[in-house]
Amino acid sequence: MKFDETSRITVSNLWRTKLRTVLTTLGVVIGIGALVAMVSFGTGMQKNITGMFETNDLFTSMQALPSKINMDEVMHGNMESLQKQDNKNVPPLDDRAMGRIRILPGVDVVYPEISFPVKIRYRGQESRTLAKGLPVEMGRYKPYSAIPYGRFFKADDEKSIILNPFLLRNLKIRLLEPGNAKKLSLEDSLRGLRSLPPDSLLGKEVELVTSVVDVSSLIQNPMFTFGLGRGVPVKETTTRLKIVGIDAGRGAFEGPYRDRGIQLPLITAQRVPQMGFSSVWDLLRSKGQQRGYASLYVRVKKMTHLDPVKKEIDKMGYGTLALADQLEEIKKGFVILDMALGAIGTIALVVAALGIINTMVMSILERTREIGIMKAIGGSENEIKTIFFIEAGIIGLLGGLFGLVLGWCVTRIANTVANFYVARQGGPHVDYFYIPPWLILGAVAFSILVSLLAGLYPAIRAARVNPVEALRHD
Amino acid sequence: MPPILIATDVHKQYEKGSVRINALQGVSLEVQHGEFLSIVGRSGSGKSTLLNLVGGLDTVSSGSIFIKKKDLARMKRSELALHRRKTVGMIFQSFNLISSRTARENVELAMAFGNVRRKERKKRAEALLASIGLSERMDHLPSELSGGEAQRVAIARALSNRPDILLADEPTGNLDSATSAEILELLSDLNRRQNVTVIMITHDKVSAQSVSHRILEFLDGRVIRETRTRRRA
Repeated sequence: MKFDETSRITVSNLWRTKLRTVLTTLGVVIGIGALVAMVSFGTGMQKNITGMFETNDLFTSMQALPSKINMDEVMHGNMESLQKQDNKNVPPLDDRAMGRIRILPGVDVVYPEISFPVKIRYRGQESRTLAKGLPVEMGRYKPYSAIPYGRFFKADDEKSIILNPFLLRNLKIRLLEPGNAKKLSLEDSLRGLRSLPPDSLLGKEVELVTSVVDVSSLIQNPMFTFGLGRGVPVKETTTRLKIVGIDAGRGAFEGPYRDRGIQLPLITAQRVPQMGFSSVWDLLRSKGQQRGYASLYVRVKKMTHLDPVKKEIDKMGYGTLALADQLEEIKKGFVILDMALGAIGTIALVVAALGIINTMVMSILERTREIGIMKAIGGSENEIKTIFFIEAGIIGLLGGLFGLVLGWCVTRIANTVANFYVARQGGPHVDYFYIPPWLILGAVAFSILVSLLAGLYPAIRAARVNPVEALRHD
Repeated sequence: MPPILIATDVHKQYEKGSVRINALQGVSLEVQHGEFLSIVGRSGSGKSTLLNLVGGLDTVSSGSIFIKKKDLARMKRSELALHRRKTVGMIFQSFNLISSRTARENVELAMAFGNVRRKERKKRAEALLASIGLSERMDHLPSELSGGEAQRVAIARALSNRPDILLADEPTGNLDSATSAEILELLSDLNRRQNVTVIMITHDKVSAQSVSHRILEFLDGRVIRETRTRRRA
């Protein structure tokens, strides 16, 4: 018998027992729906995290450090490992080292990482933040390639600055952006915020205030300073810089209002008088070092360059720190999460498969005589097996398709509800679920596969029906 | 022409629970092309068992059945299916039509197993049903047909793949006498006009005599009497 003929018989059999077919299929629909929702949550989370890594160039960037560090030990609180110098002969991480790294194949940008605490003054308002020096080359990459307002730096010694909306809020300025309501909220009005179009700020000057150790005061009265524990005497210096750009406020998965700091052109940043360290890390790393930078930022052209460049830098004796390594660990974690979520969905599908087996075995019992007749008029075991097998396959196909629709609906509803609550907390809109093309095909294929497996035993049983006994069957 | 069917020393045993039943105990017979053979005997005499063996629904315990020079005992299950599809057509006392399918669909199903094309199937089913006077009842379900009509549909189905032998297991057992006569007449007509070999099981020895060339009488799994009727081949 031809396949289309067998299918026709199968469809008419299923149609004859509509209610039972619908109920059995519903079991598969729920199973596949659960599976799709679970797996799409896992892939959605993974996509968001990977996306965040990509946006921040974490797959193509790393830090070169003056000495090798053992991340495991650091994670376990053993900070001493940071001070250990494995090889005393390693040259300092200076401009020469930077030159050596720059010529490695695949390396695109290398620059010393400079960041230090600053105060920004604008129209009588003042706010603390962290300044970061960036070379012009970084303007080619996200997020600097797509600064929402204004531009990136044109020269490394430009007297300019890039601000961000968070800092501006602290300076009592709220940006009049398309998404924002024109009227200030009561809270913002009470805080004395002013609404300004972003373009009106471009070209204006701000004051960058940095602190340096007041050497003269230290020499004059060293005992006073240290003896009473009042800390190191500091002196403030002011640099005037022009606002050339305003950075985006925040990205997905970042806290509601996190300050990303301000950016300065690299040479401008190096020229700004400052203490030379901004964190305990810098202090720890600089211990035992005579000269050189605390760390270099290395950006490679492609993701695939990251590993070879990392190895080369390692060979030079320097330490490297790439967050992409951590992503591998995170990805492993996601595989486990996906499996766990998938397993829950699969349990639902196993229950559905048992439903299919039950329905089909019942159907065979009911149709024993019919099977006998089909055999008597020339139906072969294979043909009868195929009829039941296709029946299971059709249940699987319908279950898979409708399950996919159900799963999609569930994820949309869950996403809307989750975003509603997140929005109330001031968080950004995030798609928590993602149904990739492989999941669409995979879910339907899996549904058919499971249904066929469930139909295997009933089909074999039907094929083995003894026609003589079946014809006597009522 | 050699016989279409040669059965030699056929034995068939069943296990029914713990009881062993000897349904056939050394049956030997030959059936000629175009012959109308009737088998009579009491219930449990082994008539239906023999018909099931000839129909390829069951297999012999020992002995051999050759149909068109092929030994059924040596056939694989798939070959037996082919035998049921092409060589024999079976009709039963209880008609055995598929209740959810119309008269035409029942006839077509047998041809579908025989890999007859859809258009050809439809044409042949309609012609067959028309030839036995069921043009008006083609699209009726078996439950909407009378006993006689249902048996006619069963006969049309049995003939649809143009078999060599028609096996009829008490085809008139569930019918009133007038309808029985009609069915017997139809079978006799098919045998005479289309030269289809018919092996029929019946309780009714009298009617068997009017249509058959030969009558075998069974008792306890053996042939106890063979009678040639006046009808000549």
